[in-house]
Amino acid sequence: MAAPGPDLRALQHEVEARARELGLEVPEIVYEVVGHRELNEIAAYGGFPVRYPHWRFGMEYDRLIKGHAYGLQRIYELVVNTQPVVAYLLEQNAPVEQKLVMAHVCGHADFFRRNAWFAHTDLNMMDVMPSHGSRVAALADRFGRDEVETFIDRVLSLDNLVDSAILSRARGRHGNAPPLDRGAAPGDILGHLLLHAPLADWQQEVLALLRDEACYFLPQVLTRIMNEGWASFWHSRLMTGSLLRDAEVVDYAVQHAGAMGGDDGPMNPYKLGLELYRHIECGADDPATGLARVFDARAVHDDLTFVDAFLDEDFARRHAMATTTEEFLAAREALLASLTNGGQPVLRRLPGEGPGLELQHVWSGAELQLEQAEETLRNLVALWRAPVRLHTRSENRALLMTCSEAGITREHGEVLPDGGRRGSGPPPR
Amino acid sequence: MSGGDGGAGGGRIERDRTRFQDIVRGAIKRDLRRYVTGSELIGRKGRQLISIPVPRIELPRFRFGKNGRGKGSGEGEGEGEGQAGEGGSAGAAGGQAGSHLLEVELSLEELAAILGEELELPRIEPRGRARISSPSRRFSALRRTGPRSLRHMRRTYREALKRQIVTGSFDPKDPRIVPGADDLRFRSWKETSRPDHAAMILYMMDVSGSMGREQKEIVRLVSFWIDTWLRSQYQSLETRYVVHDAVAKEVDQQTFYRLRESGGTKISSAYALAADLLEQQFPASEWNIYLFHFSDGDNWSGRDTEKCMSLLRERLLPACNLFCYGQVKSAYGSGQFKKDVDGALAAEDIVITAEILDREGILPAIKSFLGTGL
Repeated sequence: MAAPGPDLRALQHEVEARARELGLEVPEIVYEVVGHRELNEIAAYGGFPVRYPHWRFGMEYDRLIKGHAYGLQRIYELVVNTQPVVAYLLEQNAPVEQKLVMAHVCGHADFFRRNAWFAHTDLNMMDVMPSHGSRVAALADRFGRDEVETFIDRVLSLDNLVDSAILSRARGRHGNAPPLDRGAAPGDILGHLLLHAPLADWQQEVLALLRDEACYFLPQVLTRIMNEGWASFWHSRLMTGSLLRDAEVVDYAVQHAGAMGGDDGPMNPYKLGLELYRHIECGADDPATGLARVFDARAVHDDLTFVDAFLDEDFARRHAMATTTEEFLAAREALLASLTNGGQPVLRRLPGEGPGLELQHVWSGAELQLEQAEETLRNLVALWRAPVRLHTRSENRALLMTCSEAGITREHGEVLPDGGRRGSGPPPR
Repeated sequence: MSGGDGGAGGGRIERDRTRFQDIVRGAIKRDLRRYVTGSELIGRKGRQLISIPVPRIELPRFRFGKNGRGKGSGEGEGEGEGQAGEGGSAGAAGGQAGSHLLEVELSLEELAAILGEELELPRIEPRGRARISSPSRRFSALRRTGPRSLRHMRRTYREALKRQIVTGSFDPKDPRIVPGADDLRFRSWKETSRPDHAAMILYMMDVSGSMGREQKEIVRLVSFWIDTWLRSQYQSLETRYVVHDAVAKEVDQQTFYRLRESGGTKISSAYALAADLLEQQFPASEWNIYLFHFSDGDNWSGRDTEKCMSLLRERLLPACNLFCYGQVKSAYGSGQFKKDVDGALAAEDIVITAEILDREGILPAIKSFLGTGL
């Protein structure tokens, strides 16, 4: 890892000055120049040089370096939401690529600072992650590596059971997770476990820090299209507006086309986000109003509401997502469903007394994968140490899964009307 | 030595990775094994191409199953892991990094590089032997003529763009670029001459009655990988095959893997034949010589084993870079021969022995054979 040389620093200065002129909030950005191995390593750790010891980072690293070795995939840029913003530059990149990456990073940095979902994240994660790392390592030394890792495995199996709707309750506090002094929200199962599960002190500590990390990453999961789209919108505008030298145009065009292309077609989040912002801009009567609307949209939406608000039939036809109104509605519905709660099922705790834990899968038109649900329930019971009941549905019938240390039972109930996501219950968020 | 290690954190991620690989192999935490998806076995497709699956461990989660959500976007990175897209925005060129099994096709050269990296094999330093110079071609040049398949699109486009701007036929409102004959650019090669080192591998295999199909399959896999690695290190590589039971003979590759004899076992017969072959056709002054011998460890008699040791000491070891003995476990083999070699030749750096219990033992065996860089 090295600091950028004078050429890159001059480039950074130029790019950031242009970005500010166009209205982006560009906080302090620190670039690190790294080799591809190092970049893959940091990417495996989610952008941080140090995390707690766990095999899943090794798995991610394994996949990344294999992908790199086969020439299938290459990480261009990696940017981390901290104060200052930290971003990595691949040392092998050509100057025009570095320029593109810097312009792109300016977009991300602005998004981190100005999108509402990020208002409450802890910006000290560059210090927090390593301290989580050394705490877990110390606990593993004391209580046994397998023991601690197995506990982490269980928590990771449950770490999508956080409630995104209450993220804002972390405002003004240390850390990313919502505070628990008034109990846990119904969707915050991890918080409930933290308050009421019979855990050893070290388990409590590990659970708390994993919950905090999950809440740190959650806004990024919920705004992937918006965030990548925003960065692409601005790298495109900055590069073609003023930063490109004549000799670089063709190389830039190839890079940009590569990032916007791929097997996902119009569903590539970079492409989809970029085009939606352009769609907003073009919808206004004059350019100034259009741009103002774009800035507003990036501040208040997440992917779900962004797509809901701006993906109209005109857009869908223009980007080959649909040729008829029916196709458009179906495509839109499928996309919205995949973005609801970050594509994860919504589970809520039902109020109740006693040692048991009762969960309701909020029906949104899609069934749970039942084998996995059983395994996950087992992990939950291993932490809760009392029976857990899950109300869901399977093949249009109510299904109650009851899991205790003795085993799992399934009880099928009445036939339910075939309600879609609009049909039953309150929307998840 | 291979690839260069990362920065300060390099050891940490390698520990996590080793841990992951141990779980996948079932060496630790066996209860996680049932969550492993994909197979880690590496197969061969056709003559040149190979498909390499990447194993993953998918922890169970509450997730949508059948009748599930249409997979839209936003789940590119690590969806199997829940924290989708953790890490801000890792932009990958040319499409998303899917979380599914990556199945890729690659050439043997790339495969060797990966093998070297995976096993941390050191690059081989050829011994100071007679050097033959051989021309090598690299596609690093551009020319104005060439076959269509080698057309360099980006450079051609750029030439056409330049010409149209200069001649005033470029219209920013209709930026259509039409390359003419003069604009075409083709990839081409430069020839460089570089010193070459010749190498030969001699595989010897016990085909007596006790070596069954599975044992031969293991030998085949080990030899394939050794071949692949050594080919990446030498421009020209000769391979020869010797099989033996109580008598030895030289055979072709096909026969080497297929043959099943049924006699007793005299390993010295193979070593004597190998020594003759080297002396007649592969003088040590011109060749880097690698000897591999596989058996299940049963030899006819202690007398014959003594004869083997003296053949090795006097005729084979002085001529070769490396002598590797792989003992494949079989239901009948006593496994004595490896002990004998280890005992008699402990002082020889270029003698390496390995025991291969089953397929899981293949990679460790290759690593110990080739890990010396000799």
